[in-house]
Amino acid sequence: MRYIVKILTLVVVAMLPVVGSAADGRTTAEACWKEGIAAYEAGEYGRAVESFERIAELGEVSADLYYNLANAYFKLGQQHTPGESRPFADGELGRAVLNYHRALRLNPAMEDARYNLDIAVDYTNDTEAVPENFVVTLWRSLRDMTTSNGWVVVSLVALALTLALVMLYLLAERSVLRKVGFFAAILLVVVVVMSVALAISSRTAVEGDDRGVVVYNATTTVHASPNSASKRIREPMQGVTVRLLRERGDWTEIVFKDGEKGWIRTSHVEKI
Amino acid sequence: MKVLFRFILVLVALISSSVAWGQVSFTVDAPALTALGQPFRVEFSVDAEPERDSFKAPSFEGFEVLAGPSVSTGHSIQFVNGKQSSSYNCSYTFVLLPSESGTYTIGSASIKVDGKSYTTKPLPIEVIAEKGGAGSTERTTEQRPESRIAKDDILLKLLVSETEVYKGESIRAWLVLYTRVNIDSIESLDMPSFDGFWSQELTFDNTPSREQVNGRVYEAYKIKELLLSPQQSGKIVIPATTMSLLAQVVVEDKRHFDPIFGGRQIYHVQRELKTQPITINVKEFPAGAPASFNGAVGSFRLTSRMPQSEIESNTADQMEITITGSGNLKFIAPPTLSLPESFEKYDTKVVDNVKLAASGASGSITYTYPFVARSAGEFHIDPVLFSYFDPATGQYHTLATEAATITVTDDGTSVAAPVVGGYAGFGGTMRQLDRDIRYIHTDKLPRRAAEMMVLTPLYWLVVVAIVASFVVAYVLLRKRIRDNRNVVARRMKRADKVAVQRLRMAQRSMEGGNRHAFYEEMLRAMWGYISDKFNIPVSNLTKETIREVLYRRGVAADVAEQFCEIISRSEEAQYAPSTEGDMGEVYAFAAEVISKIEDVVKR
Repeated sequence: MRYIVKILTLVVVAMLPVVGSAADGRTTAEACWKEGIAAYEAGEYGRAVESFERIAELGEVSADLYYNLANAYFKLGQQHTPGESRPFADGELGRAVLNYHRALRLNPAMEDARYNLDIAVDYTNDTEAVPENFVVTLWRSLRDMTTSNGWVVVSLVALALTLALVMLYLLAERSVLRKVGFFAAILLVVVVVMSVALAISSRTAVEGDDRGVVVYNATTTVHASPNSASKRIREPMQGVTVRLLRERGDWTEIVFKDGEKGWIRTSHVEKI
Repeated sequence: MKVLFRFILVLVALISSSVAWGQVSFTVDAPALTALGQPFRVEFSVDAEPERDSFKAPSFEGFEVLAGPSVSTGHSIQFVNGKQSSSYNCSYTFVLLPSESGTYTIGSASIKVDGKSYTTKPLPIEVIAEKGGAGSTERTTEQRPESRIAKDDILLKLLVSETEVYKGESIRAWLVLYTRVNIDSIESLDMPSFDGFWSQELTFDNTPSREQVNGRVYEAYKIKELLLSPQQSGKIVIPATTMSLLAQVVVEDKRHFDPIFGGRQIYHVQRELKTQPITINVKEFPAGAPASFNGAVGSFRLTSRMPQSEIESNTADQMEITITGSGNLKFIAPPTLSLPESFEKYDTKVVDNVKLAASGASGSITYTYPFVARSAGEFHIDPVLFSYFDPATGQYHTLATEAATITVTDDGTSVAAPVVGGYAGFGGTMRQLDRDIRYIHTDKLPRRAAEMMVLTPLYWLVVVAIVASFVVAYVLLRKRIRDNRNVVARRMKRADKVAVQRLRMAQRSMEGGNRHAFYEEMLRAMWGYISDKFNIPVSNLTKETIREVLYRRGVAADVAEQFCEIISRSEEAQYAPSTEGDMGEVYAFAAEVISKIEDVVKR
């Protein structure tokens, strides 16, 4: 008995710093958050970017954090001095697009982020995507109505309701109630299956997300093969979203939205 | 009267003659620069008749007088529009030969006109020793006239005032022809197009001057003068200017000596001249330009005339901004004036009054911003900012007009204001002014994004827990329902037995003569019977519910009525002091009614 107490005490003591540091990180993040918002409101977007990036380093990531970070990058890039520097001289546009994508990945239903992403993309020379199948678009827009976990909650509630209706069907004495229970249960089974499928689809979309954003501050060149001597395919600007396929040395193979493939310097793109 | 008139006439004559004296000018003319061994002329001229022998020449120290003074006089009378004017000119010319290099001064000469003496200003003359001796004049033995003109006898140069400038700053460029021989005519002149510059020709003084180039003295003729304003930054090259001209060569020909013309022959020699290309380094503006900087370079002042502070709606007014100064005025974009949305704006009127000079453009530009206030209210007009770059100090300056508040009073038609342009007034559609990203989210720091739960062990655990809890609930509920059903069935079976038992207890009370207890037992038996038989709590029972329940179970209405009558009679008799009504009769009646109900209700 005494040994058990000793071991338990040891475990608790060993856990303390872990718990402590986690709590500490949270308070630092909260301070950074306030600081970042204050800096943004004062128009000091450079400081806002630093604060929000710090929170991301601490691991306290959320859709709102990425959204604010993207906004700060976008505003910082717009804040240039005419004659001296171009807008988005340090790749801020690329970073803004990147962080809007990250925010939307955590919360596909975040309407503000989608709106701002549209505005940011207007500044890039991104190509139009190949039009998708109608069913795929419908499925995707349905899926993006909430997060994967949102669909999990929907599926669990629907499951509970289904079971309740099954019980009604089995136990009710009056035939009207039994009929209602039966058909409603069948309907809800469909809802359960759909929402589980949407939750899984959402999760695979996030985990299998192979997109990247060009973050290089100037125009970069996409070559036909992974060396600079090969033919130049395209010159995407910062903020162009591509899919990343594979890496060879310093080069990464990418696919543009319209299906065109090429190789870009790995340091010029960042994975979402 | 006549005397006075005559006096005035004399006075006028005196004044006019004194004016004539005042106008006498006595000047000296000589080249300011000359080469050693080259004779030159010095001419003293006076524009009035001098007194005889009153001219005193200065001492020509440092020069050898080759000839002079040769006197020439001229007198001309002109009639212009019926007015007579006369001019007189007298000049004394010397030919001097510099004997040593250095700067010498020709002293003052003096002359007397009408008893008054005039002197010339001392004139400094620079004498230089030319390289290569006396130049082309030595080579008289050469036969071909083309070779009589050395390559450096005629030069063409494009000169610029500066080669390092800021974009928009203006520089002066002038084309000069230097020559040591006579020029007959210029055949062609091909100026470059000055790409990268905004160029404007200037008017200039085209009197030739003597200038020293590479240690030699030339006559310099200015051919063109331009004001250039670079429009792009970086190194801009002004390409070469080419010129083709005819020069005169005078050859003393001994073979064809002419007694009258002295055997001189004049040849025309064609020459092609070319300037050196010039590179102008146009610097970018330094960092830290204000947001309102729009490329204005120079030095400016800003004045404005504000609109009236109170106007009626639907009336026109305007704001005027004037930029005065020197610099690239022609290239200044109108400063942006942001007026409230309900103000109808019209095209900005630009009036410029810019003069070009060798130092650059200067003057003023006035921008007029007309508007019509369409709706009533108090409107704030932000100051108009104008920034310029001063190349002299290398700094930016920002000028601003005052902020203004305009009160627009309602003229009574604001609401029904006509829809003009994009603004539809009240009740119209809203116009999208601009688009920008939405604001940041300022709530508390959100929780860290949750892991995705679907298909994880936790998820399965929750699913299994939900299913299991329902299965358990189902099993329990089913059992309970079944048990419940059994209890009811048993109770119903027992119902008449209980009633019989109660009736017996009532019979005992009746035998004991206890009226009150009898009726109490009777009531209990009746209520309890119905309660157990039809599974209705006693508290919910009334006579009405009993009638209803019995009717629903197919018991005849009169039987139900009898049942209720027994209850009524029992209730009345319970506390009644009289012995009215027979207890035995009630008892038998109750037993009969219950057995009747049993007959019908029994399955």
